[in-house]
This record gives sequence, C-alpha cells and structure tokens, in this order.
Amino acid sequence: MSDLNKTQAEIIDQKIWIKSEGEIWCYDLIDVASDGQRRKKTNSASPNLITAPMPGKITKVFVKSGDLVTKGQPLLVMEAMKMEYTLKSDLETTVEKINVELNQQVTLGFLMVELKKADVNV
Amino acid sequence: MKLKKIAIANRGEVAVRIIKACEELGLQTVLLHSDADRGSRAFRMSDFQICIGPAPTSESYLNIEANIQGALAAGADAVHPGFGFLSENADFALACEKAGLKFIGPSSEAIRKLGNKISFKRLAQSAGLPLIPGYEGDDQSIPKLLTEVEKIGLPVIVKAAAGGGGRGMKLIREMTEAKDQIESAQREAKSAFGSEKVFLEKYLDRAKHIEFQIFGDSTGKIHHLFDRECSVQRRHQKIIEEATSPSLTDDLRRQMGEVAVTIATVANYKSAGTVEFLLQDNKFYLLEVNTRLQVEHPVTEEVLGVDLVKMQILTADNSFVFDAKDIRIPKGHSIECRVYAENPYMNGMPSTGKLGTVHWPEGPRRRFEFGFDSGDVITSHYDPMIAKVIVWDETRPRAIEKMIRVLKDSTIFGVHTNIPYLIAILSHDEFIKGTMTTRFIEHYFADGLKSNHDEINRKKLSQEIYKNLVQKFVPQQTEAQSPWLTFWRGV
Repeated sequence: MSDLNKTQAEIIDQKIWIKSEGEIWCYDLIDVASDGQRRKKTNSASPNLITAPMPGKITKVFVKSGDLVTKGQPLLVMEAMKMEYTLKSDLETTVEKINVELNQQVTLGFLMVELKKADVNV
Repeated sequence: MKLKKIAIANRGEVAVRIIKACEELGLQTVLLHSDADRGSRAFRMSDFQICIGPAPTSESYLNIEANIQGALAAGADAVHPGFGFLSENADFALACEKAGLKFIGPSSEAIRKLGNKISFKRLAQSAGLPLIPGYEGDDQSIPKLLTEVEKIGLPVIVKAAAGGGGRGMKLIREMTEAKDQIESAQREAKSAFGSEKVFLEKYLDRAKHIEFQIFGDSTGKIHHLFDRECSVQRRHQKIIEEATSPSLTDDLRRQMGEVAVTIATVANYKSAGTVEFLLQDNKFYLLEVNTRLQVEHPVTEEVLGVDLVKMQILTADNSFVFDAKDIRIPKGHSIECRVYAENPYMNGMPSTGKLGTVHWPEGPRRRFEFGFDSGDVITSHYDPMIAKVIVWDETRPRAIEKMIRVLKDSTIFGVHTNIPYLIAILSHDEFIKGTMTTRFIEHYFADGLKSNHDEINRKKLSQEIYKNLVQKFVPQQTEAQSPWLTFWRGV
C-alpha cells in the first residue's frame, strides 16, 4: 500500500482526483464512497448503444435507420476541440434508430445511435 | 517606444505570454476574448478586456471585423495575433493596417506570399530552393485530386492550403482511403480556417522535422536564430520540441540556415517567422514558412537568451535593429513539452472539466507557460493544449532527465493530461538517442498508453483516501458540500 503521507487528493464535481507516487488518476465518487458496490457500465455491456465518448458536434452521419452495418463500419463523425472522431459499429446488424442530426451539439454519454442487438451467430 | 496599448487577438497560454512581454515593456494590454473565456487567466491578467463574440471560433477568434472593432473600441494602437486563429491571415493583417492598427508580425504582403503554401512554393521554386514533389493547383475536384495522388505516388499527405499546426492534415497510404481522407481534410480545413482548399504532397516516411527561427528587424535585416527539432508529432501535431536539433551537422546547419534566410529575404520578411524543413538521408526539403510566432518559440529563447515576443513588439514599433553582438551561439539544450487535456490511456481522448489543483514545480531554468489555473474550465470549444513546460540544461541528456522530473512533480486535477505519455516518450531509447523521425509516435505510441497499474489496489487506496478526506471535513458541514475539498498531507 502506498504511503498516504505522499498522497494528494481533491474532489471536483463528483469525482475524486488522486496523485500518488507521481501518478494521477480519478474515480467517480460513487465508485469509492461505498465498498463492493459496483455501477453497471452501460457502454461496454451494450455495444449496440452508441453514446458520445466526449462532448462535441456531429459533422457527418453515414447511416440511417434500417441500414445494414458491418463490424468496423463508420456510423458518424464527431468533432471536438477541432479534432475528428469517427464512431464505428462493433456489430454486424441493422440500425434501429438515429437520435442525432448533422451539426447537433451532444453532451458526454448522449445516446446517438441505437443498433439492433446482434444475433448470436451472424 | 511609440506604442502604448496592445490588443491581443488570442487566448490561453500565448495570450498570457504576450501580456507578460507587454508588462515588461510598460505597455497596456487589451484582451479580445470570446464569451467562453471570460474569467480565464489571460482575462484576469490583462488591463482591459473586450468580448468579441460567442464561444465558436468562427464567431469570435476567427472573426476579423469583431477583432478590429474590439481593438479600436479599446483604443489599442497595435494587435498581437499570437499563433493559430488569425495569426497567419493576410486579410486580418491588412484590415489592421487599414484601421490604423500596427499588426505585430510581418506585412500582409509577406504573409500572402509565404503563408499561402501555394504561392510560397512558387516563390521557393523561383529562388531555386529545394521542395517536396506535390500538387497545389486550383482544380480542387475530387477526381482531379485523386489523379494527382496517383501521379505523386503513395504515401501522399493532404494539407489545408490556409492552415498550419497540423489542422486539416490527412495521410493517404492506400488509394482505397484516398477519397475519405481528402474529404475529411477539407471538412477540418473549412472548420479550422474557413477555407476548404487543400494541396497534396509526397510523404517522406522517415524524415526528421527541423525548423529555423528567422527574424527580420525594423530595417528589414534578416537573421536566423538557429534550429529546433520537432520530430515527435502525432497526427502532424507537434508534442515535444527541442533546440537545437540533435541531428544536424555543422555543415547541414549552415546550409539550411542560408536557405531559411534566403526565403525570408525574397519575401521582405519582418518580425518572427519559422522556416520548416524535412530532413531525410542528409537531404533537406523546404516544407513551409509559418509567418508568425511559433508555439515552440521558448526553446529558441532558452538556448539563445532572447525574448522573441519583445523583439516582435519592438519591431512593430520600428525600434528593433539587429546588432552584431546580438547574433549569439546557442548554449546548452532546451526541451518543450506540450501538455494536452486528454486521456493517454484512452488513446488521447479529449478531456474537459473544471480544474482543481494546478501545481507547477518551479526551479532554475524551468519555465511554465499556462493559460488556465485552478477554477478555470477546459471546454471542448478550443484546442486541447492547456500548457507548455520548458526546461534548459547544459546538455541534452540532462535536459531530458530534468524534464521527466519536472513533469512527474507537476499536478493537474480536474482533467486528464498527456503527462504520462510525455514521460514515456522522453524515456524511449530512440528519443534519448535523438534518432526519432516524424513517424516515431506512429511506430511506438500509436494507441496511446497501456495502463499497467493494479486496479484492485488502486481502488482500495482510493477508498482509503476518500474516507480520510471525508473524515477531515465532517466537522465543517458547509465546506463538505463544496466541490473544492482538498487533501494535502506531506509532499
């Protein structure tokens, strides 16, 4: 266990930031406030739900609902801090719903595209 | 000094840098800022502040008319454009000249000749200077661009004609991705510079990025202030820069310096500028001229003991003349690291939020250029570069060691930063040997960093720290609800 005397920590907006032995990390308060309780991460558990990984603007939408998509196919392009990010499908499936339009500003975690849950054996 | 009040058409750390130079020269400052930057560090440090528009850059920092009106309203007699935004915009320089404001930089004519990469190439060709093969024609249709890509031969790079600093640049390695990359470059160019024009260039795959600082004084006399190496780049954005380059022989340094002075001379250059080269197999090619102060200007200042921003202001004031004794020989070695608000463990994903503790470990020949402080908010509207750390030491190995130590001792809470990434790069064999090329990052750090900590232990420690933190503040209920709890023990 690290030496607490050389540790620095601060709570900012529901997150705890910690520096220890030259490394900095942060946790959501909810994850450290009570032992054992674990939040369900919707993102990794549901590859069919494409949420915004950062706040930003939608600059291109490649698909519409009903489209068939393959694994790795680009779904949309976001721009944040003047950098482009392409969001791709992790599944081979159909697009169920598009919740964004061109030039829309989205917040972190915004549900942008809903894909149909993939069949077990495609 | 005839100038009295300088308007700053920029934000962040460079605005702060300019304010400091003005203060030292006894000049007043006016910050031309967007709505989102109200209350920023530059806002707090400047003497006067004028809001020139809302957060989006096209309506504020890139809006020529708003900047001119702001500068005039505040009674400024000169404008410093910093870097990025309107700094290389000839129309802005001209608008300043017409409005009776001194533009702190080269003339609009020199910017037009050199800053526009296409006319720059024509100028370089007519002076017989070495260039990279490419296409810079007016036909910007996709079919034409695709034909030209094939003609030049892969790999080919697509660049924003009006750009700089890596914005809107895309690399084509295979014909199948050519169309996508061209369109993506056009979109980024449009968004960052307001023009979607691009040009194509052969991509040198194991080149080093070397650049020369040039400076033209009030009388038009031009000298170069030696070289910097900026080979550590990710997606064509520089991350670590140093002066002088560990790669140049005296002979190459002399030849490239002469080319740099020649191109500046044929353009009647005044003020600070940078001539960029690619160096591969001991052959060098002129890349572009950046007609402005460079982000990495501090490393030149550190090895030469000069102040380029003051030199720029004095040149605009018509009171800077090179003296023979000003021409110095670089001493020791200086390195700059750009601190970006991003998560290195998530492949450089931008990180936004309110800053908590910001601590820079001061010490001899350590320099911290930062635009944000505790309490400031890092938003997704602007560039993710939030600070620069610059060190100087007698030798390159010592400067590297020093930088690693300084970065480890720096603390930023509230946003993730690329500091662990910077430390990993500085510790890499190839960087230490000085043999890195512009593909260094792509080769060794393409996916950011892998986190190798023990998650279970880290979480346990975090829970223990949290308990400590809460216990400490339980007696003060009101404070416990503030988002600003701080916990410091030792250190």
